[in-house]
Amino acid sequence: MAAVTRTWKQVAARVREHRAYGPGFRWLELDVPAGFAAPVAGQFVQLLLDFPSPVLLPRPMSVASASKRGARLSIGFLYAPVGAGTRALAQLAQGATLHITGPLGRGYPLEERGTPVLVAGGRGVAPLLMAADVLARSRRRCEFVFGARTAKLLVGLDEARERLAKRGSKLHLATDDGTRGFHGNVVQLLTQLAPGLQPPVVIHACGPHGMLGAVARWAMANGARAHLAMESVMACGTGVCRGCPLPRSAAGRERVLAEGAKAAALKGNPDWAMCCTDGPVFEACELDWDRVE
Amino acid sequence: MSHSVRAARPISPKRVDLSVRIGSLELRNPILTGSGTFGYGDEYAHVVDLATIGGVVTKTVTVRPRAGNAPSRVAETPAGMLNSIGLENVGLERFRDEKLPRLRKLKATVIASIGGETPEELETLLRALGGEQGVGAFEVNFSCPNVAAGGARYWADPGRLERTLAMLRPLTPKPLIAKLSPDVTDIRETARACERGGADALTAVNTFVGMAIDLDAMRSKLGKATGGLSGPAIKPLALARCWEAAHAVRIPVLGSGGIASGRDALEFMAAGATAVQVGTATFVEPEASSRVLDEMRAWLAARGHARVRDLIGAFNAEHAQERAPRATS
Repeated sequence: MAAVTRTWKQVAARVREHRAYGPGFRWLELDVPAGFAAPVAGQFVQLLLDFPSPVLLPRPMSVASASKRGARLSIGFLYAPVGAGTRALAQLAQGATLHITGPLGRGYPLEERGTPVLVAGGRGVAPLLMAADVLARSRRRCEFVFGARTAKLLVGLDEARERLAKRGSKLHLATDDGTRGFHGNVVQLLTQLAPGLQPPVVIHACGPHGMLGAVARWAMANGARAHLAMESVMACGTGVCRGCPLPRSAAGRERVLAEGAKAAALKGNPDWAMCCTDGPVFEACELDWDRVE
Repeated sequence: MSHSVRAARPISPKRVDLSVRIGSLELRNPILTGSGTFGYGDEYAHVVDLATIGGVVTKTVTVRPRAGNAPSRVAETPAGMLNSIGLENVGLERFRDEKLPRLRKLKATVIASIGGETPEELETLLRALGGEQGVGAFEVNFSCPNVAAGGARYWADPGRLERTLAMLRPLTPKPLIAKLSPDVTDIRETARACERGGADALTAVNTFVGMAIDLDAMRSKLGKATGGLSGPAIKPLALARCWEAAHAVRIPVLGSGGIASGRDALEFMAAGATAVQVGTATFVEPEASSRVLDEMRAWLAARGHARVRDLIGAFNAEHAQERAPRATS
């Protein structure tokens, strides 16, 4: 039986900084008390507003930065206030407190050998900003492919550029409307870039599910590995409520069945993967992209 | 039984006797976790000291594994949430081989939740699990709102409940707890049917059937049209059902529905519950069950109550127009 070590916990955190970050987006930086494990790029945190809150459940949010200032951990989030929960979150002033649970889920396997290619779509750039940081700290170059519908939705572009400059990594931009960079989507851009990349190529991506499906298919067709960070509505975020299913592929199903009891501790279900504990980062072959919503 | 609920001198929280009894099962205190909200216990063992809470009710197990419903399975609604999980679980065989050995290692009283589409499936489950070590009692889920067959509607028939419990009762020496749906015309009828059939206790209540529509897409916010509503939104509704059920039967009732504080828990006990279950609150705050317990103990100590048992049904003693509940131990 696999020993499962759970390190997440719920703690009170304090808003260190909270500011507008490009049109329609915000950057939230939290000071987190000691004892909260440092998140890995691709992991998420559940943000819970203190009473009185207009919403009941915490909101899962991907971590966009994690930095140690002395012994203090601070964690950054890039988000768009689009629903009741995130709109209320956007009201939090510097010094305000909230509760966070985490770090949760499985992050990107950035240690995997090969040429790292980070592929971001719109605000899906958040965990990849952190991935770029981590790679830079371990002195590894990467290719950063960043796409959006239009130029102004290339949120966090300056941040990305700054992080990449450190290690000679390259930023490649794409917009659907051609207002910035390559005129087309990230998969078309990937296709163009591919011949110049040293194999094996290892993609780490985040963005809308349609884009991730296209990236996954491209990777499987082109002999690249791809790790995709998925999203779902969630309740608990810890695997117990079974509320965030994603459809497994036949290969994903076989893998769970083959792992049997060893996998049972984490992955009880060969048909549906739980975004929170089996993911949010999945390998391309694990999910049935035709059925991903 | 006397109901000394009037204010008295505060006592030390350590002096409050929180133990309660569900049939032959002694609980160290009345705070349980609700089925489907706490996994198999070990998921939360690093944040909740399982040796302190009253017990853990595990995720419902069925004879065959169930994959659960297609997404979306959860949707937040005002002060609550809808779920349409669909009893996803690993099935009897893997529950027995993989989950039970882990449950036996927990420092918790374990109540195993079982569910069936037919009386025969419940029979199969109890024949297989009824004598297993590490399970203190069984909760029979007669009230899942999210399955096509064998859900809350199927089990709303009092005759079927009575016959099924009568058939199940001899299959295990452990207490059988019948978890009831609130979506019936009169919960006293299903409660009494369970008691006549031989249930040792009731859980009142499971989630309420609810809906939420995304108007722009003109589709349900869940994968199915309806789901089960839980959370603070249902607390007053659940409390009323619990109160009605508790006064219809002699057996103990476990209160459930939107409990998120010690005061919430004590309201259910005052209404006649012998113990309570904390469910959705755990999704918000993983340590909710511990906190509810601490708050309950502190409330009792501050008012000089040496035994939580004295609060059971206390609401009625204070309001003589209602029939007083029977003693539960």
